[in-house]
Amino acid sequence: MKNVEPQEINVVSSKDPENNHKGLVFNIQKFSLHDGPGIRTTVFMKGCSLACRWCSNPESMNRYREIMIYDVRCIGCKKCVEACPIGAIVFTERGREIDWDRCDNCLECARVCPSKAIECTGDYMTIDEVVKKVEDDRIFYENSNGGMTVSGGEALVQSKFVRELLKKCREKGIHTALDTTGNAPWQDIESVLEYVDLVLMDIKHMDTEMHKKGTSVENELILGNARKIAKRVRIWIRIPLIPDYNDSEANIIRVAKFASDIAAEKVSVLPYHDLGSSKYPKLGRVYPMEGTTPPTEEAVERVRKTIESFGLEVEIGR
Amino acid sequence: MGTAKSEKVEHLNEKISIKAVRNVRRGQETEGNQEIYRPGVKVCLERNSLLTESYKMTEGEPTVIRQAKALEHVLLNMTIYIRDWEKIVGNYASSPDAVFWPIEQNWKSVHRLLHGDEGKALVDDAGRKELDRIVEYWGGKTVSDIRKRAFAGSPDLEKYWVYEGTMLWSQWSDQGVPNYEKVLAIGLNGIIREAEEKLKELGKRLPFDYIQQKDFCEAVIIVLQASIKWAERYAVKAEEIAKEEKDMERRKEIEEVARICRKVPANPASTFREALQSFILVHLIGHQIEFITLGCGIRFDMIMEPFFQKDIADGTITRAEAVELIKHTRIHLEELGQMYSPTTTQVYGGVQVLQSLVIGGVDSEGRDVTGETSYMLLDSVLELQTLQPSIVLRVHDGTPKELILKAIDVIKTGVGYPSLQNDKTLIPLMMKWNCPLEDARNYTISGCVYLDVAGKNILRRNATYFSLPRCLWWALHQGVNPKNGEQYGAPTQDPAGFESIDDVMDAYLEQVRFFMDKQVRVENVTRSIYAEQYPRPFESALTDGCIECGQDLRKWRYQGRVESFSIAVGPTNVADSMAAIKKIVFDEKRVSMKKLIEILEKNWEGNEDLRQIMLAAPKFGNDDDYVDMIAYDVHRRTEEVVEQFSDTYGSDFHLDGSAVSATYGLSLDTPATPDGRKDGDGFADGSLSPTPGMDVNGPTAVLKSCSKIDTLTTYNHLLNQKFTPQFLEGANREVFYNYIKSWADLGISHVQFNVVDRETLIEAQKNPEKQKNLIIRVAGYSAYFIDLSKGLQDHIIERTEQAFR
Repeated sequence: MKNVEPQEINVVSSKDPENNHKGLVFNIQKFSLHDGPGIRTTVFMKGCSLACRWCSNPESMNRYREIMIYDVRCIGCKKCVEACPIGAIVFTERGREIDWDRCDNCLECARVCPSKAIECTGDYMTIDEVVKKVEDDRIFYENSNGGMTVSGGEALVQSKFVRELLKKCREKGIHTALDTTGNAPWQDIESVLEYVDLVLMDIKHMDTEMHKKGTSVENELILGNARKIAKRVRIWIRIPLIPDYNDSEANIIRVAKFASDIAAEKVSVLPYHDLGSSKYPKLGRVYPMEGTTPPTEEAVERVRKTIESFGLEVEIGR
Repeated sequence: MGTAKSEKVEHLNEKISIKAVRNVRRGQETEGNQEIYRPGVKVCLERNSLLTESYKMTEGEPTVIRQAKALEHVLLNMTIYIRDWEKIVGNYASSPDAVFWPIEQNWKSVHRLLHGDEGKALVDDAGRKELDRIVEYWGGKTVSDIRKRAFAGSPDLEKYWVYEGTMLWSQWSDQGVPNYEKVLAIGLNGIIREAEEKLKELGKRLPFDYIQQKDFCEAVIIVLQASIKWAERYAVKAEEIAKEEKDMERRKEIEEVARICRKVPANPASTFREALQSFILVHLIGHQIEFITLGCGIRFDMIMEPFFQKDIADGTITRAEAVELIKHTRIHLEELGQMYSPTTTQVYGGVQVLQSLVIGGVDSEGRDVTGETSYMLLDSVLELQTLQPSIVLRVHDGTPKELILKAIDVIKTGVGYPSLQNDKTLIPLMMKWNCPLEDARNYTISGCVYLDVAGKNILRRNATYFSLPRCLWWALHQGVNPKNGEQYGAPTQDPAGFESIDDVMDAYLEQVRFFMDKQVRVENVTRSIYAEQYPRPFESALTDGCIECGQDLRKWRYQGRVESFSIAVGPTNVADSMAAIKKIVFDEKRVSMKKLIEILEKNWEGNEDLRQIMLAAPKFGNDDDYVDMIAYDVHRRTEEVVEQFSDTYGSDFHLDGSAVSATYGLSLDTPATPDGRKDGDGFADGSLSPTPGMDVNGPTAVLKSCSKIDTLTTYNHLLNQKFTPQFLEGANREVFYNYIKSWADLGISHVQFNVVDRETLIEAQKNPEKQKNLIIRVAGYSAYFIDLSKGLQDHIIERTEQAFR
């Protein structure tokens, strides 16, 4: 099993040879309802500068293409075994097994698999390719005041690409939102802000030590960026509500106060769920939050009331 | 208060008698071992006995007079009943749990059924004896006997009438929407006067067909007078009940029933309640007792609104009372029942008798018709959910947002309706099919997506359920059935010589043409038999123009030529198959045509990897032009072939998307197809729904794909989408409204939503007794989930669930 390290900002991975003018995208989610107003298309950029333990999109972390496996789809044709140049795939009585420590993501197995039981996650796309997909749903944006949201991973790991993408959408009259962790150099954030209509920003913890425990980075840069962003663009704050981590009354009050200070338009509470846990083994990883139960409805309601007491609009996400 | 209301609802719910047919047959095989109806449902022979009695007495008289006298005999002598909770009255059989079929149409399949295991419980031994006695008279005389005689002279007709897997001839689909507005305005007495005037005029003018016209007008007068007397029988019955009734509230209630039944449908209706009562009585005669057929299609709000507004102004009714009456009206439509043959159950799995009430849209002058009654009808469904009637909401630019939001609330209950129909494309489509502007604007939907115009002699007739994937299969086999070597389809080009997807398309279209030719001959010969043997004097009296021209509605046609169609079953599978062939065989050359066909014949066995490759080829429903453009070609070019055929009145045939459960039933008889589908697997449902599980880009991509299948150059479509309930709740309700607006802007002709959790369905499959009232959308119609066979249930569970993320 492999460990995942947060990506250094804007460092091109050695496994990333075709980065010229292309962005590494791991999903373009149409009909997205929780990443800003209306019906949206969310473009998920691959690679993250954080490594949150509860991450429900573990395939978003690495800044390179990698394989994901789906055992139920395997038809047992063994084409992957033949294709693997280092012999890291074998068939046993338990079915196909992958030696994850040896796998170097050459992607040959995904290329030959006929049934998508091994898929490559991450796709290098040009701005025009992404924009075309975004434009497909223009009529839905117009009817619902929706638009495009760029998310991640951390979208700003690929800030040059993201800037061009936002600019192109702005030119085409499509509403733009940036969903960011805020963990990026200010100049990268500033470079995209002029093309962003709305920023969605996570605050995971107000205590920097705790922040580091949960996400592997400290929070000073993030909070500072949030203040600066709020002066320039509309901002919504999002709190992933993680039991026994950031759900204490004290922390919630600090977040709400912060949101209120920077005049955030809205606070979204995203209660922890484990829907992403099944993706970890598909990537050859271990889910770090195994056994954690989602917060109760009562707990979520308490959080809502606490935040509302600061005069903030609260939305409970899913 | 909420509790009181729900108790009352529970009360009504318990009273309803469900007569949905269960699909006991799939293709040519028996499905499961369930009975054809729920326990307790009986076949009522009374109508057929009375009809036979009359026919015996009228030997030698003109057919139309015989039919009129037979209907008169039935109406004057049939059992009538009023249940102690009824506010709107009317019945078509001797008891609420009974179904019947028209013996003058056919008897063999019913006879077989009632004497066999599947239908044994439907009738007792005395009944079986009675049946044998009636059959003795009808042997050789029914429409199907005469058809058999006609077909015996032509090997082609005999061969292609029998269901083999490609075409299922449709016996039941013979609709038309009477002019209810006229009945409410002038009463049946007013129409009798028109017939009398016509008789006088005929006597003076003496046209060459004087005797035929005279017979017809006299038949009209007989049936209308009998209908008035039938209503009066309810009045008498109600008066008797009132005398004995101790409960003063109920006595007042039943006295009102008596008063109303003395007044309507004989005379114009003047109150909301009179209008509803008149409508139900007329509908029961025209669409059930005289001739049993599915479909309703009354533009409910447009017709009922003035009556409600007048009552409200007069202070004689409250909104709540009116909603209660609407519920009682709907129960009558819910309780309609008919006897299906085991073969047709594969098409109508879970169906009682398909009914629809239409709200919204524009009137013939282009004005929005929404009124309080539009909302009241929807409110009545929130209070009491029934399978029938389905509600159709016509949407146009001027439809109030509140009405669509109210519709969303009803959709959220999971009841499967209202379905949405798009004025933006359907009005121009009607006009393209030669319907005048005013009538096109007044279009209505009589069942599923059947287009109709109230009062006009359109008589929407479906010739067959037409399996298009099987046409493609014939194209891959040169029309020869590999199982027996028979040349059954067209002898098209050897597929080994196909050089491009155009060759595949040409061979497919040639098969479509071949089978259209066969089915049109079957249909037209049969239609002429119906026209001679089975007049409908009652329905004719309520159809514009019949009295004016002195002819039964089966003998002439209104100018808007939209009445004949074949139902397109499985076009999405054809499109996906063509796309897979184009990409894998011709673009990428990963397998030869010859090899592919060999593998298909073996149902992919030993070639799962190729199946996966074909499955991975572009699929309809993902906003992918590669396949969507092929899909458009399939729809358009198939329609163009179909349009080359005409019916007995010279009108073009068209395709129609109302596949009911045929996409499941007929699919059993189509072997593996190049889209990756295995032998016998279900087809994609409706005409626009993506193949289950293949639409992976979410619901907006589905709508985008569908929008590329231009309605105007194809036909009226049916699209099913499934959502989880959360998607319509809270803040999402507004988003769902925007989604519907986008659907309308995209010009897709139809959409309907199945809103249910997968878990709920799986649970219902395990514990049917706990989910007795779970209603789900099957295709163009809803059904009680527990009435569906395991196979059809699985098919529905399998459909993509559009969850939100």
